[in-house]
Amino acid sequence: MKKYMTLAKMQARAVLAYRLNFVLSLFALMFQLFAMLAIWGVLLGSGQNLNGFDWAHMKAYLLVGFLCGALVSQSADWRMAGRIQDGMVAIDLTKPVDYQKAQFATVVGGAWTEVVTALAVCAGVIAWTGAVPTPGWQGAALFALSLLAVLPLKFLIVYVSALACFYTQNYLGVHWARLVIVSLFSGALVPLSFFPEWVQQLAAVLPFASMSATPALIWIGQLRGAQALLMIAAQFGWVVALWLAARLIFRHAIKRVTIHGG
Amino acid sequence: MRRTLRLYRRLLGAHLRAALQYEADFWIMIAAAAMTQAVGVVFLGAIFAKIPHLNGWTFWEVVTVYAMVSLGEGVGSLFFEGSWRLARRINQGELDYLLVRPYPVALQVMGSDVGLNGAGNILVGGVLLGLGVAHSRVDWSAGTVLLGVVLLISAIVIRTAISLGTNSGSFWIAGPFSVFGYALHQVGDLARYPITIYALGVRLVIGVVVPFAFASFFPVAVLLDRGDAAKLGLLTPVVAVYCVVVARWVFHRGLRRYESAGN
Repeated sequence: MKKYMTLAKMQARAVLAYRLNFVLSLFALMFQLFAMLAIWGVLLGSGQNLNGFDWAHMKAYLLVGFLCGALVSQSADWRMAGRIQDGMVAIDLTKPVDYQKAQFATVVGGAWTEVVTALAVCAGVIAWTGAVPTPGWQGAALFALSLLAVLPLKFLIVYVSALACFYTQNYLGVHWARLVIVSLFSGALVPLSFFPEWVQQLAAVLPFASMSATPALIWIGQLRGAQALLMIAAQFGWVVALWLAARLIFRHAIKRVTIHGG
Repeated sequence: MRRTLRLYRRLLGAHLRAALQYEADFWIMIAAAAMTQAVGVVFLGAIFAKIPHLNGWTFWEVVTVYAMVSLGEGVGSLFFEGSWRLARRINQGELDYLLVRPYPVALQVMGSDVGLNGAGNILVGGVLLGLGVAHSRVDWSAGTVLLGVVLLISAIVIRTAISLGTNSGSFWIAGPFSVFGYALHQVGDLARYPITIYALGVRLVIGVVVPFAFASFFPVAVLLDRGDAAKLGLLTPVVAVYCVVVARWVFHRGLRRYESAGN
């Protein structure tokens, strides 16, 4: 455990060296958020209510979605992919640490900058457009629990997609494919209840809604009590299932590692 | 002129072969790019299922504006992706090679990479543009067709010029990444929707300061005959010329600052 703590601490400092990359990667998310805020602002601005969302609740929903989107956005996958591509991963494999746990420790260590930056953006949006509703203490506790699951869950999705690099040798396409699938099925930009029935059913059996929609719906009070607990259980269920699945994939993937001489 | 075009094609061809070396990723990339554009429209569809229009714009009209950006981005990636490599080339001192060749430096820069994702963007953007225009009320005549073609070409020229101009910021801002270009590119994504939904400041930025809106919103407004926006939109070809002149000027100002790398 201690060695993983050290890895996390190392990364917590190292992120500051790459802050520019990080801010840039957040830019894309930020302008998506601004565009969606503008659209919903026009549609809900004069007191309308669509699917149980009024302007203040929609804003809160989108901001939580943004916070979840910012988590694990710090190109942990690109770092991995780069090392897989140029063969340096061979060195990582010789280290006396578990590869998956080490990667997770790195992501946990870097997460504080993501949270701080995302909260700063949220504060800016609130200062600009007015307050958002806050949940009671019970809702807040459920929200915190739900948000806690987002970090490992998002890590696992990102980790598995980076492992695809063992097969494709290049990461750009896989990276984009992941972004688009997550943005659709996580409900981060448009709440899933706005989609046709079949999309909602598909989203219900996929892990992506657990990455954003669940905490966001808990924050605005559309998920509460036993129902919220059930969804949080689903989140942690996905974490366990994907953790094990990632192990299986990794075991198969490292057989394909190509090491260049030199 | 013919020599310039022929050489540009050869230049792109060489980089196309390089881009094709990762075959699996190549297909995933095209599919992902196409999906990214399509999902944006799925979002719009989900929103418009509940409301008839957004600030007076119907679903298909907004799709037309959106598709202009997809298409313009696709053309930019497929044919002029090299602009996005400029920062790295300056940083590594690689511009030296380009400076000694008898071919316009700006064109060498723009043709120095091929973004295959552009194929997906062009495909989806083209289909969406066709669908959007077909479902919107446009008074078709020989004149509007001609006008539409001029507007489309101008819009693509504007986006291409903006990406060369903003990426030239790397001559002033050191570093291997195109910070300035990338940041403004994200701002440009706001022009995927009718700009009337934004506050005045945002409208001024994407309409005047960096005229992204002239590559999507304004040309479509002309075609749909949308009052004042349509009148302004008639300036699109003029804005295109202006953008090219400014981008060239910025690029050459920057080039004069280029001092290569030490080794």
